[in-house]
Amino acid sequence: MRHDFLDRYSRLRSPVHRLPSGSKLLLSLALIVVTVSVSIDHSLLFFGIAVLLLCTTFVSRIPWKFILGRLLVLEPFALGVAVMALFQQGGLHVFLSLLIKSTLCLYTMILISNTTPFSEILTALRKMRVPSFLITVLALAYRYLFVLIDEGERLQRARRSRTFDRSRRRNWMSLSSLIGQLFIRSSERAERIFAAMTSRGWK
Amino acid sequence: MHIPDGFLDTKTAVTTGVLSATGLSMAVRHASKHVPSRQLPLIGLSAAFIFVAQMMNFPVAGGTSGHLIGGALAVVLLGPSAAVIVITSVLLIQALIFADGGLLALGANILNMAIVAPVCAYVVFVVVRRFLKDDRGMLVAASLAAWVSIVVAAIVCAGELALSGTVSWGLAFPAMAGVHALIGVGESLITMLVLAAIRSTRPELLHRSAATPTTSEQKALLVYGGIVVLALLILVVPFASTLPDGLISVAQSLGFEYRQNAQPAISTPFSNYTLPGIQSSAISSILAGFLGAALVFGLSYLFARIIAPKQREQALTSDQS
Amino acid sequence: MNNAIEVTDLKYSYPDGKEALRGISFTIAEGECLGLVGPNGSGKSTLLLHLNGILPDTSDGVSHVVVHGKPATKSNVATIRREVGLLFQDPDDQLFCPTVFEDVAFGPQQFGFSEEEIHATVIRALALSGLSGFEKRSPHHLSIGEKRRVCLAGVLACEPKILALDEPTSNLDPRGKRSLHEILKSLPVTKVIATHDLEMVVELCTRTIVLDDGLIVADGPTVELLGNEDLMLTHGLEKPHILRHHHPH
Repeated sequence: MRHDFLDRYSRLRSPVHRLPSGSKLLLSLALIVVTVSVSIDHSLLFFGIAVLLLCTTFVSRIPWKFILGRLLVLEPFALGVAVMALFQQGGLHVFLSLLIKSTLCLYTMILISNTTPFSEILTALRKMRVPSFLITVLALAYRYLFVLIDEGERLQRARRSRTFDRSRRRNWMSLSSLIGQLFIRSSERAERIFAAMTSRGWK
Repeated sequence: MHIPDGFLDTKTAVTTGVLSATGLSMAVRHASKHVPSRQLPLIGLSAAFIFVAQMMNFPVAGGTSGHLIGGALAVVLLGPSAAVIVITSVLLIQALIFADGGLLALGANILNMAIVAPVCAYVVFVVVRRFLKDDRGMLVAASLAAWVSIVVAAIVCAGELALSGTVSWGLAFPAMAGVHALIGVGESLITMLVLAAIRSTRPELLHRSAATPTTSEQKALLVYGGIVVLALLILVVPFASTLPDGLISVAQSLGFEYRQNAQPAISTPFSNYTLPGIQSSAISSILAGFLGAALVFGLSYLFARIIAPKQREQALTSDQS
Repeated sequence: MNNAIEVTDLKYSYPDGKEALRGISFTIAEGECLGLVGPNGSGKSTLLLHLNGILPDTSDGVSHVVVHGKPATKSNVATIRREVGLLFQDPDDQLFCPTVFEDVAFGPQQFGFSEEEIHATVIRALALSGLSGFEKRSPHHLSIGEKRRVCLAGVLACEPKILALDEPTSNLDPRGKRSLHEILKSLPVTKVIATHDLEMVVELCTRTIVLDDGLIVADGPTVELLGNEDLMLTHGLEKPHILRHHHPH
């Protein structure tokens, strides 16, 4: 599965990874709440949070390049909305506040998502009394995410090797047709999964 | 439209959290009772499908690309409750595995994209279907539903940003509504094309699109509709119009401040959002919205004639869940 | 001798009308290993799906499949599914839980094993499949051979008396094939193997059925059938390499 790189670090071995998932989630939540609620005038607090996150990264053995990569990919959204805030009185202060807070929160989320396997997050959600219907959907979605990404890629490659018309119109039509095909394959696979589940006693 | 953490203040996060938790629990309750177990794998796979579909790059002008969000697509393929669950799952996976979208902001993101968007799409879809019953009509209905869903979700999002004091309403509303009116065109086009592709190969997968809501679905829809209305009342309406004094003081005591325009440091063309000749900015916004929808409807109708040249009568059958 | 499975005049058509099985009758003896071969589209997979009651999906009351003396009707289906372990062709269809342990434990959980029993049978099944230590792994990080073996473990954990396998060695490299051969050889249960891997059929199955276009065209000792070049070529198959040369290995 070529796309397992998206979930490669959640199963490393480090003290951070070993912490119980429930505690990690609650800690992250607490950290985010504090970051969001407190004004950035308390600069020492934010500095402390940043140091905490950096130390955690070091202990977690996740490559710095990876963290930076994720931050760069996800930051633009925050930047876009933050820029809107510049056009108002006191805008610069709001802009800086948004940037600092959202980056710290984003960093926290990157850390927790890469030190906690999703199956443990699901277990934590189950303990928090999230309905089992939703948990099952999440588990299936997670399991087949990479399968579908692969299938989508294969369909794309097959298409690209057959068409030479790169016009935008053809592109949209062929991409949409691809998405349609992906849904059809997904629903056919869902039937087979149902057969496999009932074969092992599911009702 | 994924709001990161840090852009919403606590009261907005909590309010949207409560609204979306209510909607989500209704969806789960309805789905677990009325979706046959045979469909459960399909719902799980559909969540993965929407996730992957969102990843596809649709080239727009000059190196930029657009992406499908899929609210309307999900609702036409799976029905309202399943769509709510599917998109919520996508948002949860994006936030918890890929750090895409904030944790505290999940309430708002789920409200906007998993409840408001699909529910609005469904309502528009069903209403238009009542008048256009054939296959081509299904495509037009889905197309318009997609556009409306994106725009309304964007407006609610603007309300959340404004209520948090992050961006003033006078700036957020026209920016979000305007940008997403354009993005919505892409969404409506892609939704229509994808449905046409499915229809040409496996039309039986679209059996839901011919169905009228069952009684249990109608009850669930009342709840979802109520949540959307509440969201609009709390997040949008007070900015767009003047509240009676009593309500203003109640709102203020709860910490809700509805300032329309923060004093702009730089004056922008967005400072006063009115159509020429109309006094109230609220009414002109609503009119602009209807004009936009009519335009999208017209374009969808024309486009559907191109991609679905054969007319097939398809009577509305009752759903068999 | 008791028959593990008895199939009498089994017919099946797909929803679109195409006939998949046009009157199949055979028996499988207790402890036997039966090979099921035939060209693509002959109905092998469809036949296997009837052995644990997945098909037909509409009941007409009459059952043409009897497992250990029990007809495959609605009332017996739960028991039959426990007794017949079905391995599907695409491991991604059958491996649907977030971790290996959870997936292998799925069957025992559904069949009502206790917590301790579940744990014990999962560990045992993983060991049988050569996957001890894989408990916490995520399916999407596994190779196709490993996924196949997880699926096998998932079926073995239910402690079935009969194994029905659909193309168990497809897409495996030679090493993967060999390791699966060894595992299957070591399992004493009754086996039905639908496959294109004729070498494996010669190695594991004393008896073979040749299926073509929904009908049984031959039923007999493996070496005799697969060694019959005409028979093989007529039905879209080939005499396996292992039977071509008559020197001892």
